[in-house]
Amino acid sequence: MRVEIRLYATFAQYAPSQRAGDPFSAQLHDGATLADLVGKLRIPEESIHLVIINGRIVHDRCQSLVDDDRVGLFPPVGGG
Amino acid sequence: MDRILRINMTDRSASFEPMPKQYENRAGRWLTSSIIHDEVPATCHPLGPNNKLVFSPGIVTGTSSPTSSRISVGGKSPLTGGIKEANAGTGWGRRLARLGIRAVIIEGRADGFWLLKITKNGASFETADAWTGKKLSEVYPKLFERSGGHKAVDICSIGIAGEHRMPAAGICFNDQNARPTRYAGRGGLGAVMGSKGLKMIVVDDTGSDDVPVANKEVFNGGRKNMAAALTEHAITKPKGALNSYGTAVLVNIINEAGALPTRNFRSGRFEGAAKIAGEAIFEGNKERTGSELYNHACSPGCIIACSNTWHRPDGSEHTSCVEYESAWALGANCGIDNLDQVAELNLLCNEYGLDTIEIGGALAVAMEGGLAAFGDGKRAIELVHEIGRATPLGKILGAGAVATGKVFGVSRVPHVKGQNMPAYEPRAIKGIGMTYAVSTMGADHTSGYTIAPEMLGVSGKLDPLNPDKAELARNFQYATAFIDTTGHCLFIAFAILDIASGFEGMVEECNGVLGTKWTAEDVARIGKEILDLELDFNHRAGFTKLDDRLPEFMLYEPLPPHNVVWDIADSEIDQVFGQ
Ligand code: SF4
Repeated sequence: MRVEIRLYATFAQYAPSQRAGDPFSAQLHDGATLADLVGKLRIPEESIHLVIINGRIVHDRCQSLVDDDRVGLFPPVGGG
Repeated sequence: MDRILRINMTDRSASFEPMPKQYENRAGRWLTSSIIHDEVPATCHPLGPNNKLVFSPGIVTGTSSPTSSRISVGGKSPLTGGIKEANAGTGWGRRLARLGIRAVIIEGRADGFWLLKITKNGASFETADAWTGKKLSEVYPKLFERSGGHKAVDICSIGIAGEHRMPAAGICFNDQNARPTRYAGRGGLGAVMGSKGLKMIVVDDTGSDDVPVANKEVFNGGRKNMAAALTEHAITKPKGALNSYGTAVLVNIINEAGALPTRNFRSGRFEGAAKIAGEAIFEGNKERTGSELYNHACSPGCIIACSNTWHRPDGSEHTSCVEYESAWALGANCGIDNLDQVAELNLLCNEYGLDTIEIGGALAVAMEGGLAAFGDGKRAIELVHEIGRATPLGKILGAGAVATGKVFGVSRVPHVKGQNMPAYEPRAIKGIGMTYAVSTMGADHTSGYTIAPEMLGVSGKLDPLNPDKAELARNFQYATAFIDTTGHCLFIAFAILDIASGFEGMVEECNGVLGTKWTAEDVARIGKEILDLELDFNHRAGFTKLDDRLPEFMLYEPLPPHNVVWDIADSEIDQVFGQ
């Protein structure tokens, strides 16, 4: 399957274009989980604060992904 | 000695009064709302002689406590018709605190415009007619030069919008680098100041003493815990999220979550979001200036330092500060994805003395009404210049989103109590929707920032679409009213909601200054007391629970991408304050 990924804030350095929010895709085996994707992206697991899949905040790293999922990864961010 | 400075604009007299016993320990929002509640007839016209404008620095403002240089401004709002407190980060309030002035009360109404100067020796007036009709970047440097420089004074002023008593006019304060850029923006308090004939207030604290601290040991312990929490938390620490990317770092996350109001609240996703976000500001500045720019403190003693600058292609500074709210209001909400145009709009709001949120809202409603196409940044810039020229069209826009909607026959006007909503879609984030609905300020995210647990995973992880948020909305508003009383910037909340010793530090700092023995329970008690004063004022001004409602279109228009409507029962909203 193929998922669409966007990396934000300091995670931009792990994106192919090194730009925050530039979408890129990753091929994963069927039944792959969020944890599998994180491993593939080489982002240190403990630095990930928030994951948003298709607009929903997901806390469970074991969540399975499906084809065409839109995944956004964030370190801790805040503002007002 | 704590005292109140009362200014009568009608005869330009000034008098010092001792702090009344019943206001003991009150400062910041607690004091501004107390005075407005007690002294202003709730049914008065906000621009008439019976309204008052009150300035008050917070409890710990002026001490060595970190991130605590906020000044609260209160009055009856010409935008909402209810009570208002807006605050800003600036050295201006520190100087008042050092002069022992707990509040400045402006009353009456003068002909023409006046400059008020406050020093150790008292208050004096001079005519300010020559300062009117100008951009604030032309006014501040000259006035600083004439007043002994930024080392000696800080300046508070209204712009052209306030002179013309426009309900979207804010009150400007200079930042730490003397830029006229920090605003008590919301609710039209700039129009109230203009209605009094007061153009500017210069505060010179030469010869003042340190702010007295009743118990130094307790204060120092609290201050250290606060500083430790701020330097430890990932959001508030040096080179953390706020220091690197500014508040606009939120554009992307709120957009990913489908809750970034786009094109006048038609959608929760903006395809151009990444181009106007904090990361784009950081990268753009790096390209244009050749170095990584970390943000600066808007006010003395802030260790979070979230205030950014945006630079032109030649590297020169274009504007400060492009906040999340401003990037959204003047960007996504208008469908504009060009940062240079967003920055120009931001600059013009600072030049003319306008609230960026209300103006972004008015522009979006004007676009809805056919005055410009969504995304047409050039036309948006022209429209803001209309406000600066105070043309009839400019005055309509400067009256805010609701007035603009009425004039141009628009039914999609995202407001509560006449104040345009800020940058979080209530259909997609239920707790902030409840906060907008019941806030004494009209639609206002800073009155109870439930976004922290609903979106950002701070102080808990709540599902934004879960409707069970009445208690959350209540507790956040109580805690926030207390923070607005301390003089701390609300952004300390990210750290102290997660780090308990930081929260205790805040209480101890106050105890140290005041000699009180407050605990966490007193935070909620005092917060409730403040809200009760404000609710009572609004009730007497004519508000009922029917005003605590979101606009009708949100009940029947599903918001993409989640395709959700506002579906919280009115009875549930009414539970927030249990009326
Ligand atoms: S955190 Fe930001 S807004 Fe708050 S006082 Fe510091 S620089 Fe100003």
